[in-house]
Amino acid sequence: MIEARDVKLSFGETPALRGATLAVAEGEILAVMGPSGSGKSTLLHCLAGILVPDAGEVQFAGQRIDTLDEGARSALRRDRFGFVFQFGQLVPELTAVENVALPLLLAGTKRRAAVAEASAWFDRLDLDGLQQRRSGELSGGQAQRVALARGLVSRPKVLFADEPTGSLDSLTGEHVMDLLVSSAREQGTTVVVVTHEARVAAYADREVIVRDGKVTTAVLT
Amino acid sequence: MSVPLTLLGLLEREPSHGYDLKRDYDAFFGRGKPLPFGQVYATLARLARDGKVVIAVEPGDGPERKRYVITETGASEVNAWLVEPLEPEPHLQTVLFAKVVLALMLNRPAEEYLDTQRRAHLARMRELTEVKRGGNLVDALLADHGLFHLEADLRWIDTTVARLDALAKAVAR
Amino acid sequence: MIGLGLRLAVAGGREAAARLVVVAAAVALGTGLLLATLAGINATKTQNLRYAWLNTGIAEYTTTPRAGVDPAWWLIRGDRFRGQELGRIDVAATGPAAPVPAGIPALPGPGEFYASPALHDLLRTVPADELGDRFPGREVGVIGDAALPSPDSLLVVVGQSPETLATQPFAQQVTAVLTTDPAGCMRCIIGLDNTMFTVSLSVIAAALIFPVLIFIGTATRLSAARREQRFAAMRLVGATPRQITVLATVESTVAAVAGTLLGFGVFFAARPGLAEIPFTGATFFPSDLVLTAVNVAAVAVGIPLGAAVAARLALRRVRISPLGVTRRATPKPPRAWRLIPLVAGVAELAYFVGRRPETTDGQTAAYLIGAVLMLAGLVLAGPWLTMRVARLVADRAQRPAALIAGRRLADDPMAAFRAVSGLVVALFVMTAASGAITSFVAERARPAGDSVAATSLTQAFWPERLAEGAEPPTVADIPAGLSAVPGVQAVLTVRENDRQVAQNMADPSGPGLISCADLARAPGFGSCPPGAQVVSVWQDLIGPRDPGVTPAETIWPASTVTDLDSRRLLSVVVQTDGSDAAKERVRTLLATMDPFGEPPASDAEHQASSTLTLVQFQRLADVVILASLPIAGCSLAVSVIAGLTDRKRPFSVLRLTGVRIRMLRSVVGLETAVPLLVVAAVAIGAGLLAASLFLRAQLDYPLHGLGAGYYAMVGGGLVASLGIIAATLPLLRRITGPETARNE
Ligand SMILES: Nc1ncnc2c1ncn2[C@@H]1O[C@H](COP(=O)(O)OP(=O)(O)O)[C@@H](O)[C@H]1O
Ligand SMILES: [Mg+2]
Repeated sequence: MIEARDVKLSFGETPALRGATLAVAEGEILAVMGPSGSGKSTLLHCLAGILVPDAGEVQFAGQRIDTLDEGARSALRRDRFGFVFQFGQLVPELTAVENVALPLLLAGTKRRAAVAEASAWFDRLDLDGLQQRRSGELSGGQAQRVALARGLVSRPKVLFADEPTGSLDSLTGEHVMDLLVSSAREQGTTVVVVTHEARVAAYADREVIVRDGKVTTAVLT
Repeated sequence: MSVPLTLLGLLEREPSHGYDLKRDYDAFFGRGKPLPFGQVYATLARLARDGKVVIAVEPGDGPERKRYVITETGASEVNAWLVEPLEPEPHLQTVLFAKVVLALMLNRPAEEYLDTQRRAHLARMRELTEVKRGGNLVDALLADHGLFHLEADLRWIDTTVARLDALAKAVAR
Repeated sequence: MIGLGLRLAVAGGREAAARLVVVAAAVALGTGLLLATLAGINATKTQNLRYAWLNTGIAEYTTTPRAGVDPAWWLIRGDRFRGQELGRIDVAATGPAAPVPAGIPALPGPGEFYASPALHDLLRTVPADELGDRFPGREVGVIGDAALPSPDSLLVVVGQSPETLATQPFAQQVTAVLTTDPAGCMRCIIGLDNTMFTVSLSVIAAALIFPVLIFIGTATRLSAARREQRFAAMRLVGATPRQITVLATVESTVAAVAGTLLGFGVFFAARPGLAEIPFTGATFFPSDLVLTAVNVAAVAVGIPLGAAVAARLALRRVRISPLGVTRRATPKPPRAWRLIPLVAGVAELAYFVGRRPETTDGQTAAYLIGAVLMLAGLVLAGPWLTMRVARLVADRAQRPAALIAGRRLADDPMAAFRAVSGLVVALFVMTAASGAITSFVAERARPAGDSVAATSLTQAFWPERLAEGAEPPTVADIPAGLSAVPGVQAVLTVRENDRQVAQNMADPSGPGLISCADLARAPGFGSCPPGAQVVSVWQDLIGPRDPGVTPAETIWPASTVTDLDSRRLLSVVVQTDGSDAAKERVRTLLATMDPFGEPPASDAEHQASSTLTLVQFQRLADVVILASLPIAGCSLAVSVIAGLTDRKRPFSVLRLTGVRIRMLRSVVGLETAVPLLVVAAVAIGAGLLAASLFLRAQLDYPLHGLGAGYYAMVGGGLVASLGIIAATLPLLRRITGPETARNE
């Protein structure tokens, strides 16, 4: 589904990726682990077409995306990918349900229909009754689940999650992961989740380790 | 803790006297619980009996006349042990540690061993997570118990990986 | 601590530097405006003193006989040249010790005159039959600056023989030249009403400074969150609240000091331009736009001091604990009671329609209270209106941009409105004033350029103005060449009407008479009723008109008088083609019929004098609008930046997920353009309503449409402020780059 081949990327003098190779199968849930600063987020951004690698190639569904222009990559992200980040991704002016409806609204769905569709997610993610709250009135775990709903509402092919539980305690974090995994499985969404926590990675089908800008593949299994 | 395999591993470095083996063992793996001489010699005798070491007797008298040399069988056993990840169970550190130190001493790819171990741990964690997600509360709590311990091991593995270079220097002679 | 404060202020990173620059710029702007106002007030006073000598002969003390002083004959009149006023003083010394005004070395003798520099230039370039022939004799010198209210003043001091002037009923014997401020002398007629100008200057300064203050306030809040974080970190390591206050105060004071210095620079750079603005009706000498030592000291000390106090106050609102700023609650939504003063103001003004108070004081009170109520009401109601509109937008929105923008505005309408409140004040005041003035001027039938009111000149010979014993001018005295002047279309004579008819208070039918045969030669001046031979007319054949009636439509009342030719000549009316050359030539020729009488003028010129101040005020209003709109734009821009920094992360995450920057741009655009445009529309509407109510109540005039100039001004100002807002948009792209979304 997604493949990175010998991807290299530097921020100025700092090499963040030094030839990372990685393949994610359709419907697979992959955990990307590794120490802080090893290049996990950078790799995720390359896979999602947010950053363009200096060298190497990135493919999505058999097509190269590193050669697309910014507009095309934006469209790809909007239409095919979903995102969940560590924190602070909800628009403070909007209610929870409107935040979830946002991708639908952006795609041109009528407001009433978008809100209705978004509301359905609140049930599924144990968020019932929180539809009208603003982001400032949600707990961290609730906000992450709202963000998860927003990432999944437009039924993306791939969900990219960068430390989605990074600012949550372990129980809440696992709850979010649990919901993430079950929703993704239900929809057949491929998931790439960056985390440095083993218990979070244990929700994935498989994990890879990024070290010093390279994806470590163990020789033995 | 597997004393026979550890001693075998130490022997793979170089042929040694029983006394040297005890000293090295105590320094790296004993951690305040020195290995009694009796156990050293009993273990070495058992290894000799199983054909994993041979004894080269030197002229002179006393127990220090005996130098132990690892055999092919012994060496392949050490290798198999190092390569094989441990069954991911709690409280492994000591064995794991012994393996890492030996691997470094023997110039083996310690990082790969650790990664393999890591993989095994995670696979086990995945199983436990599956149990937890599917099972009842008791199962889930038990699984959590295992998960937290495994996680502690994993953290130790990660930390060790990050410091392998330093450790290699410390064990080098 | 102060040292640390200075270091943080100067080297506190990009955001601190940006805040410093913006605050300093705002303070500079405010200081510049304040200095300009002070200098304007000073210059008005100085200018008034320069007018003083023109009131010689009017103030009593200049005419009391004095020992050792030979009195001088003194006759002052107002002539005109090409639409500009030309002050003419005829003088005659009765002895060597006659009083001499400042600016000339001695009183000119018969056949000599002194001209002001501007007039001197004109005399050399304009044909003599248009201007020079009006002044007998030769120019012996140029009047010095000390006697000139303005560098552009047209003034002439003409020497006459004492015998000639002595017979003129309006000439006076003066023993001293007035030097005190005419505002302080009761009977003075030439000069400015100082208090009025000070008041209006202050109003205008306030209208300008208010938005600047808001701008400063907004700028201080710029990246306040980051600053508060920093202060919280310092509290955590043990700084006392007092020390934090010192830090914040030092920071603002540094900005204010820099701004104040810059403000002086702005003022001195703008001074020549300021002098060119004919605020009092005449331009200033740049050297008159001065600041007193007290002014300088007050501004130089007061502004930084004010900034320090403001910083203290601002910090009092957020208590900075070691754990950061305690979360501020969403402000309470404004309530509908805020509409009460606005409605009350409108109701009050509406009440007086058809119930005009009797006294002037009563009228002033009535309209002023109404206007002030409406103004205060607008400022009060603004947040409520912003909230209603924002909620409407948010509820109706189908697009996310409108939804987000509407929500943000509805969440904190106060903040959104604050940025534009200065604009409301300026737009309301200026629209009301422009509306009232435009209609007033229009109702006064400011004649069209080709109407006879503008193209015909009248020389009247009022019996009381004639020299004692002199023969009144007759038809035979009409200069022979008058009809031959190129551009002259008709020369009409008006005879004197019976006094009792002319002065009938109930129905004055005009002090003059004209034969219908004559009138028919110039249809522009109206017509006779059918069958009439002679009609009663005004001396200029125009007279006071009903609104909306042009001179050509006038039907004059018939008169029974038959002995027209034997009656005294009251006036000569010359219709020209309206060209400057023809008018000035006619003026010069006509004046020879009565060299010491009131100089000839057109109806339009008379009216121009009375509406001049109003028109000038309108021009000032335009300046205020033009200045306050961009200032409001700056305030908005700063709040755009603040709003962006607030939402840096969510916005950059949205961008990561593929949202087009266009959508974020429209969020920001809507958040600023909506309040700007709504508030502008409401303020303009309220201003027009106030003007219309005032006009109906006081003058029973309808409101006339405002001129294209006004709309161009408002439109231009709005475009400029929108431009300023648009200038902040590139920041959006930078601020929401992917690196912002990194997990910090
Ligand atoms: N925008 C950036 N500018 C400069 N260096 C960056 C930037 N983003 C990441 N880096 C550097 O690249 C490396 C990898 O970063 P990142 O992918 O965020 O690591 P991780 O997510 O694994 O913690 C780090 O050394 C980091 O300092
Ligand atoms: Mg990261």
